[in-house]
Amino acid sequence: MQTVKINDITPNDLPWKIQWEPCACKMCGSCVAACTFGAIEVGVEGRGYTWSEGVTPTPKDDERYSIPVIKQVSDIKHHCVGCGMCEKICPNRAIRPVRNQDNRWNMINRVGGDMPKRGGRANLNADDRTLDKIVVGRISQMTDPALDAQRHTFDIRAPFGRILPAEQLPLSVDPATGEMKMKSNIPPVHWIYPLIFSDMSVGALSTRAWEAICLATAYLNDECGMPVRMCSGEGGLPVRLMRSKYLKYMFLQIASGHFGWNRIIKAMPEMIEDPAGIIIKIGQGAKPGDGGLLMAAKVAPHVQALRGVPKSDLLSPPNHQGLYSIEESVQKMFLSLNAAFKFRVPVAIKTAATASSVSIYNNLLRDPYNIVGGYLLDGVQGGTGAANEISLDHTGHPVVSKLRDCYNAAVAQGRQGQIPLWAGGGVGMTGNAAADAFKMICLGANGVFMSKLLLQLMGCVGNDHGRCNACNTGLCPAGLTTQEKKLVQRLDIDKAAQNIVDYMLSFDQEMRKLMAPIGNSSLPVGRSDALVSIDRDVADKLAIQYSC
Amino acid sequence: MSFYIKTVEGNQRQSTQALLQQIYAAMENGEREFVIDACGQHDIGGPLWSADGNLEFTVNNPGQRVGSMAMAGTTIIVEGSASADTGWLNAGGEIIVKGDSGDTTAHCAAAGKIFVGGRVGTRSGSLMKHDPAYDAPEFWVLKNTGSFSFEFMGGGTAVVCGIDSEEFDSVLGDRACVGMVGGTVYYRGKASGISPATKIMDLDDADKKFLAEGMPGFLKKIGREDVLNELLDMSAWKKVVAKTYQERMKSKSNKKGMNNFRMGDWVQGGIFGDIFPDDGKVVNMINRADARLRVPEWLNSMFMAPCEAGCPAGIPSQTRFNLLRQGNVEDAYRLILEYTPFPGSVCGSVCPNLCMEACTRCMIDSAANIKGLGRMSTFVNVTLPAIDSNHKIAVIGSGVGGLTAAWLLRLRGFDVTVFEKDDVVGGKLVNAVSRERLETKTIEAEIDRIKNSGIKFELNTCVDKQKLDQLEKEFDYVILAIGAYQPKLPPWEGKEKIASYLDFLKQVNAGKRPAVGKKVVVIGCGNSGMDVVFGAYACGAEQVTAIDIQQPAAFKNEIEHAERLGAKLIWPAFTDKITDKGILLKDGRLLEADTVFCCIGEAPILNPILPEKETDRGYLKVGEDFRLSDKVFAIGDMTKLGLLVAAIGAARETSMRITAECRNEVFAPRPRIRIPHERLSLGYFSAVDTTEAVEKPEQDFNRCISCGTCRDCEMCLRTCPEHAITRVVSAEKGTFEYVSDPDLCIGCGICAGVCPCGIWTMRDNPTPEGK
Repeated sequence: MQTVKINDITPNDLPWKIQWEPCACKMCGSCVAACTFGAIEVGVEGRGYTWSEGVTPTPKDDERYSIPVIKQVSDIKHHCVGCGMCEKICPNRAIRPVRNQDNRWNMINRVGGDMPKRGGRANLNADDRTLDKIVVGRISQMTDPALDAQRHTFDIRAPFGRILPAEQLPLSVDPATGEMKMKSNIPPVHWIYPLIFSDMSVGALSTRAWEAICLATAYLNDECGMPVRMCSGEGGLPVRLMRSKYLKYMFLQIASGHFGWNRIIKAMPEMIEDPAGIIIKIGQGAKPGDGGLLMAAKVAPHVQALRGVPKSDLLSPPNHQGLYSIEESVQKMFLSLNAAFKFRVPVAIKTAATASSVSIYNNLLRDPYNIVGGYLLDGVQGGTGAANEISLDHTGHPVVSKLRDCYNAAVAQGRQGQIPLWAGGGVGMTGNAAADAFKMICLGANGVFMSKLLLQLMGCVGNDHGRCNACNTGLCPAGLTTQEKKLVQRLDIDKAAQNIVDYMLSFDQEMRKLMAPIGNSSLPVGRSDALVSIDRDVADKLAIQYSC
Repeated sequence: MSFYIKTVEGNQRQSTQALLQQIYAAMENGEREFVIDACGQHDIGGPLWSADGNLEFTVNNPGQRVGSMAMAGTTIIVEGSASADTGWLNAGGEIIVKGDSGDTTAHCAAAGKIFVGGRVGTRSGSLMKHDPAYDAPEFWVLKNTGSFSFEFMGGGTAVVCGIDSEEFDSVLGDRACVGMVGGTVYYRGKASGISPATKIMDLDDADKKFLAEGMPGFLKKIGREDVLNELLDMSAWKKVVAKTYQERMKSKSNKKGMNNFRMGDWVQGGIFGDIFPDDGKVVNMINRADARLRVPEWLNSMFMAPCEAGCPAGIPSQTRFNLLRQGNVEDAYRLILEYTPFPGSVCGSVCPNLCMEACTRCMIDSAANIKGLGRMSTFVNVTLPAIDSNHKIAVIGSGVGGLTAAWLLRLRGFDVTVFEKDDVVGGKLVNAVSRERLETKTIEAEIDRIKNSGIKFELNTCVDKQKLDQLEKEFDYVILAIGAYQPKLPPWEGKEKIASYLDFLKQVNAGKRPAVGKKVVVIGCGNSGMDVVFGAYACGAEQVTAIDIQQPAAFKNEIEHAERLGAKLIWPAFTDKITDKGILLKDGRLLEADTVFCCIGEAPILNPILPEKETDRGYLKVGEDFRLSDKVFAIGDMTKLGLLVAAIGAARETSMRITAECRNEVFAPRPRIRIPHERLSLGYFSAVDTTEAVEKPEQDFNRCISCGTCRDCEMCLRTCPEHAITRVVSAEKGTFEYVSDPDLCIGCGICAGVCPCGIWTMRDNPTPEGK
């Protein structure tokens, strides 16, 4: 007689069920040894029957035996996240996680009153993306001259920094020589690759994962001639990097927790290069209203050192504690961070896309002191780190129309292009970042930023349909979002970096393949005429051609 | 004689189509040589052919595509310059342009020869090809080309002489030879912007021979023999050839490897090298030794079996069954005497056996027969150590608690004296428990085992305060175990009519037949109440009624036995008063009775011995260690009414504590941690027919799971996929253990999973901080 009570947790309550085929299993123990979540274990199951002899019911001896089995652990803490490492390692492919549609996860995952958390993926409207309803519909055929993606040269560069309109350039002509001269300094602008490796912190990522992205960035710059920039995230930077020439490829981030800035400031005298820029992070598109969240399991000694805090759950406040208004943000944050590097380094700001994004951008556009180097708009479909599910699932704002609104607001004032507009949050969600980037650029972005795809390129098995998403646990099976050395060691830093490089080389060619047919050899910022939508509402909202 | 066509008459210009139609018509008439004064008409010269001989066109001022698709046997001479697409798709014609030629000259030419005496425009020579069935196409240019020349060139030979081109950065224009996959481009003079995907080489002898042989003819055709010597200076020439497919593939993958970049260019030692030690090793998903995610530990007997944890005396029945499994019957039976001297009387008879209630086996069929196993130890004896009179211990009271303490201390060799106010030893177990529940031979045997052990007994000795003070001086320790003998009687009217059930039972157990009436009512349906019911029937009562204010607390089998005897149990029933007729209940009912007993518990009689001690609801207050003072302990019913086995448990703990203190040892009782059920693997066990278990408890080790204690089944050893587990025997201690070799173990946890007893345990194995 089994003893199971109705409130006992069993695998059919959990989001993933383990499917195991005893006939194919040789009990090598690999799956259980490899599972970082402790979601499977070995058990013993009895088997038995009484057999009947002949053609009438004639009970003979009982057959009773028991066998070792692989079984799913039925508790909430060790629930299977569907990462599939068991399937990956199994020599006989005898085991795999299977999505459990009828789970009761949302009802049981609040033990002790704790809010459900997961590694940050929105998992929201993942199959219904605005960008997928837009196609590059203006293809030069017999009218406009198309370009050849292979043979033509393309200027795939985007500004990061304050662009002064021509009439404001402090130019003068030397009456003696007739030469044109600059009367005063102009704000720094870097023309960089239109895709930024977006902010994931030291701490959120393993040392190897973070370094692999750095390494890929350096390689793309030095070996491939692609001026890609990487944002540090809000966890500081290792001092060795700050002392190196590669600092010039890095954006420093300052966010509400201000983690890591002590060492950044202390390293200034030793810097041989300026950083590429500074990004003030106000909010994050995937979980606006929620600050950064680094679970204690990942606050390893080096993270504690870089951030200057002891081991504990690290929550960045949802707002910068010292800021109460847009004006104050501009004055305090922009001015101080411009001054930090003597006005040589452009400073941009990142907010979550929000109903009030246009107001923010309008305010930034005034910029009387020429210190606003860019506005990064982060949409709801991004997210990489740990987050409360309530924030992930139910806060945020889609980025596409908001980007368009901001761009059009600038156009209305004739100020487009002065404060570079960058958009992110779900770029590359379906695997093709170039298509997303191109469409965003046509809608008005100068460039895009992305991070989630970087994790996937490095080996992350998570997706936007609830697979894995366990970045918050510190048990990342790919060694990406963990500080447990045994798991970090799973990550091949060279391979991870190479995958990013390969993707970016392809990205670059794919961008050309989209730029060529519309006949643009530089980025088609705001060329919304190149786009059509197969969805009437999307077309109307974005003011692009509707086609069907 | 040439056929002359003039294409402009007055201000009338002939259309391309009219001109071409005129040529076709003339050819029909046998014309082979044409002189055409064109006016920008296109497509002159091809594709045309004649079976009768070669065709020749001499053209002035042609339009686009002169000589396009020209065929072998066609010669076209343009006297001045030509427009775009000269020789487009040339399929074998010889085309001579004495002046310049426009954009995309020789575009897609796959055969024939094109000679240009001036410059050619952008994209000239692009997509030239070579059909191997024919001679390769040639394309000679005296001066230079526009940009994007020879794009995607797939075959043929081009010669760009660079005459009169000093003003240009590159005689091939910018971005020449992009996408070139075949053919050769000879050039003379400066060139830049040539696709890096090609090879720029010096001429070899064959190249020089080709140029030297072809150059005079080319110059003659365009009328520039004057520059022959200049052009035959081979030192000024270079050639562009395509990389082979293999070379291109190789150069594509020729980027610096990421590892080389990291080791050579990147921050040495890695950017985290100073704060996160990392040897750079990339590990498998499965590892051995320290790199395992989890490691197994053999935690034998760390947890209590449920029977052991459920028993107030902590008797490890799983160990007894294990000894039986090993065939060590004597030790199996003897082991329990380390816990109690009453395995037959208490465990085997009157105990409710909380051990069996807790038994894991209940989840499969029914509890292992621990009760029966207790009876197997009734007549067992142990070898007792000599009495060491250095440590003298007094036990006051010879009930279950007192005798247990005395016995266990005697087993340790102490000099024990039991003081008993009565004339018999055994307390309520002997005097009050019905012999229908406890066989006389069983209790007698066990009392005798104690009596014969060398414990001294002083019967008929009442210990009062004064005597206690004296004993404290004479003995190292005094254990009080005086029980509870003051029956509780609520202040009912007529309560003086109630008979003493303790006296009654004592007489019954002594073999007498005390007189009772025909109708007997017993107040209280606990086990004592049932004992009185049994006694009343044994002494001739005809109708016994037992009442209680709540559901009867007696064991189920006691109640069933009482009812089989004919007793009626009535509850809830609230006594109002006792009259001569019987008991009048508060609801008005009268229960007729000749004799009334009241068995609702007893309180200890503490005053004579401990007049000043603190009590709680009539019972002596003691701490968790049963200690009253340095030397005095109190256990059993005098501290709280409880099961016999609770008194045994208290006695055992007290005796262990005293033993430790006498021997200057640390008192370290076994932690009472019951093994979590999830640790056990019950899949092995199925429900079986338990008839045999009831009859032969000594065989029931087959059903015992051995929770928390290794049953030595070797499942772990046999299933370990890495053969990491060995069974190590200590000959010295006579024990065994299972050991997992960390250098073989991968931390899969199969050992833990297959262990029926929950011994192997997987422990998380995180990397220590800073490592």
